[in-house]
Amino acid sequence: MPAFYWERHPDGPFATLIAVATSYLHPEIDDVDSLKRFAESEDNQKARVFKSELREALRDPSKLPPGELFASVQYEDGSPEAFLQHLWHELYGDETP
Amino acid sequence: MSSRDTLETDTRVVDAPDVPREIPETENATESPRGQVLDDPDRRREESAEARQRAEGNWDERPFKVDREELGRFDLKRAGLPDMSIDAAAKYVEEHRASRPWLAMTDRASPEARRIIAAMDAAGGHAHIRHEGWVTEEANRRRVTCREDPAQLDPDKRSLSIDGLRPSDKRHRCADIATRITDPDAFATAFTRAVEHPKMRKALDMAFSATDKPETVSVPIEDLLGPDGYKCCTGWQLKPVDGSKETAYDKRNAWVDVRAKGAKPDTGEPQAAPVPTFEGGLMTFLFTGNETERRYEIVTMCPEPPGDRRRES
Repeated sequence: MPAFYWERHPDGPFATLIAVATSYLHPEIDDVDSLKRFAESEDNQKARVFKSELREALRDPSKLPPGELFASVQYEDGSPEAFLQHLWHELYGDETP
Repeated sequence: MSSRDTLETDTRVVDAPDVPREIPETENATESPRGQVLDDPDRRREESAEARQRAEGNWDERPFKVDREELGRFDLKRAGLPDMSIDAAAKYVEEHRASRPWLAMTDRASPEARRIIAAMDAAGGHAHIRHEGWVTEEANRRRVTCREDPAQLDPDKRSLSIDGLRPSDKRHRCADIATRITDPDAFATAFTRAVEHPKMRKALDMAFSATDKPETVSVPIEDLLGPDGYKCCTGWQLKPVDGSKETAYDKRNAWVDVRAKGAKPDTGEPQAAPVPTFEGGLMTFLFTGNETERRYEIVTMCPEPPGDRRRES
């Protein structure tokens, strides 16, 4: 069975959010500066989907597939809600989610 | 040319003899190696971690049966690595051995594996620094329990969980598990075979963009190292706290934060146990962009045991 949520559910909810977060924030790489550059690349369709999914997840974190975000990213914020808020602020500053 | 520099045979031998060596009484009068271990706290911890890994993990310390011709044929450019001959790799290792001590693990490698690992080092990846045989069992145990980075060469900074590879004294991150491939030939084999795997080629050949990169890829360990290859992998994972892996992870991070601020944590040091087995596990690969060459490269790889690691809440 594929290891990652986005491989098991390529069309599943938040697949782009989880895939991108893993690529940049997996504990073995943890490269938030590159993720910021990705997030700022508004001409990139994937970056737009990522922002849209992050916004949706912030509105209702219960819609996230249980445990998948933590399994890949191993955030240190204690909860997916806290992680998503932290991530939004890092990437988009004071912009309203 | 040493026997390891020829392709005909793999001549490595296990250092430990099959039977205990008889020690003359005159040697006992000084100090036995065992006595030295018991007297040296660092060595005692190393011995203890290795003993636990042997008892509780799947570690097979016999050398990996390497196909040296396969490694010798590997085109380093397929992985975006700088071209390097076997002789140039040996020279690179000697020149950088003092400042990059992880290169010492290539002393146990075949010349063909040494060429690949030296090229990885020259290219700036860190897979071989944190996930290979240079990292001892004790170092891996401390990585997961205390977030001490094996790549951090300053002991004081290491004990403060400061990352050894990132700038600005950033805190080292570690998941709830720390793993490695214990044999340098197995490590180089996993890397070279992965580079030709279709999932990896799709990632490495992705059209370059300075603001994007490939998604994380995982490949079965068996596909890279054969059916017994998992025995070359070891790891340590946090012991659950109150029956919860997540609580253990959160408490470990809190403990590290307190210690990094110079305070004394009011709870004991986090605890870890050897990963029981990597059979059925995966090798995970992460990528980074090389803006100069306008291509993607593997920045690190690490073995993962089988199982579901989703958070409970």
